[in-house]
Amino acid sequence: MNLERRLGPASLRLWGLILNFLANVLLLYGAVGFVSDGSRGLALGVGLVVTVACIGVLSTPRR
Amino acid sequence: MDAALTLGAGTLTAAMLSGATFGYKTVWLLWLSMGLGLFMMAAMARFTALGKGAVALQNQHHGWLIGSLMTALVGTAAVAVVFNYGQYSLGTHLIESLAARLGFHFPRQVNWVLYLVVTSWLTLSYGRGGKRGIRFVETFMKASIAVMLVAFGACLYVTGVDWSAALRGAVVPWLPPGGPGIDLFVASSAAAIGVMDWFLFNQAGLARGWGKEHEPLARFDMTVGLFLPFVIVNFLVMAVFAETLFEAGTRPETAAELATALEPVLGSSWAPILFYVGFLAVPISTTVGMSIAGAMAIHEAFGWEHRTDRWRWRIAALLPQIGFLAVWYPRPVWLVIAIGAFLSLTDNIVAWSFYLLLNDDNAVGEGRSRSRWWNVGLMLQVTLLNSIAIIYVLNRLGWWFGGGGP
Repeated sequence: MNLERRLGPASLRLWGLILNFLANVLLLYGAVGFVSDGSRGLALGVGLVVTVACIGVLSTPRR
Repeated sequence: MDAALTLGAGTLTAAMLSGATFGYKTVWLLWLSMGLGLFMMAAMARFTALGKGAVALQNQHHGWLIGSLMTALVGTAAVAVVFNYGQYSLGTHLIESLAARLGFHFPRQVNWVLYLVVTSWLTLSYGRGGKRGIRFVETFMKASIAVMLVAFGACLYVTGVDWSAALRGAVVPWLPPGGPGIDLFVASSAAAIGVMDWFLFNQAGLARGWGKEHEPLARFDMTVGLFLPFVIVNFLVMAVFAETLFEAGTRPETAAELATALEPVLGSSWAPILFYVGFLAVPISTTVGMSIAGAMAIHEAFGWEHRTDRWRWRIAALLPQIGFLAVWYPRPVWLVIAIGAFLSLTDNIVAWSFYLLLNDDNAVGEGRSRSRWWNVGLMLQVTLLNSIAIIYVLNRLGWWFGGGGP
């Protein structure tokens, strides 16, 4: 994947950072519920998977 | 210089509190937090090797808001002013305690003048006579770290070490259960090195005249000159408190209370004096480092040449000395809240900016990152800093642990 390709006003690399941030929000929001009373497991799971995926993809250096 | 800057009153207080509260159980966070921070420091070393100032690069590619404002003026210069209150508070308390130990009365309402004179002189020595002045201040910083190592090491010699518990704490991750565990992990791992450390490492390298051939030296410097001193000094402090106050079940809350509580445990001979001397090196070296970083930041923000012989430099470098007011008043709460909020919400944006710059052909050309692992480290750091910003907002909304929920 060419992360330097522009999509609208920003590069895919910047959009990836924004997606990672949103996934981090979901992850922490889910973590509060899950640790407190076992709720929001889905939010925690989705947040975790997307965060790991974003880190994996965004770590690709420019060729 | 970065190690002396990082080893400030806040960091050492956190190590003391961890040792007194959890014993050796959180030693692993020391190497993990600093290890993660090194990826961003390596990015700074790359910018330095290319002869580029980090803020100038940000201004050129991401705009003045992210470079001059978020990184230089607030992330570094304002932080230097606000955080120096804590250094003054601790430093003058330690001078008073040390004097009392040596048999004379030297209250903080008077000794702050000595603190001000010494730290101002050291700060203004930077760059005096060109590279000679830079070397002098850097040597002072190294000597400060050496004093901390000897002093805290000697205290640990008195208290002894439970090596088995220490080793277990270093390799077995442990956190307190629930919300406090998440708070401790995120705060410890993201806050070991911040914007000011990144900025200073870049600028100090440029001031030394480092170029392409110095990048391996810069990486060696951040490992031997930052990672090791940070981990060892914090471990020594944590261990002293794990062996004394943790065992005794005493839980003081501030650095001054911690130091006072430790004094009788160390006995009545030379150990408490050495502890105070070593501890005094912490705020003094941090005040000097922060003052220099603050002056550099103000100059970078406005694109001014770093002329240390100019009054403009001297005034910028001495701004953090307003912290002497801490002897009578606590830090202005509204300012601490404002700066804390700004930092929590913008440090991650600054990290995004540096990650993007390191991967941008237009910014660093052939010097761009070619390592997946380097980028993984940067992304982990970015994610932790994102978490700080998110937790800050969730806290304000009352949606974080103990806030009642949405």
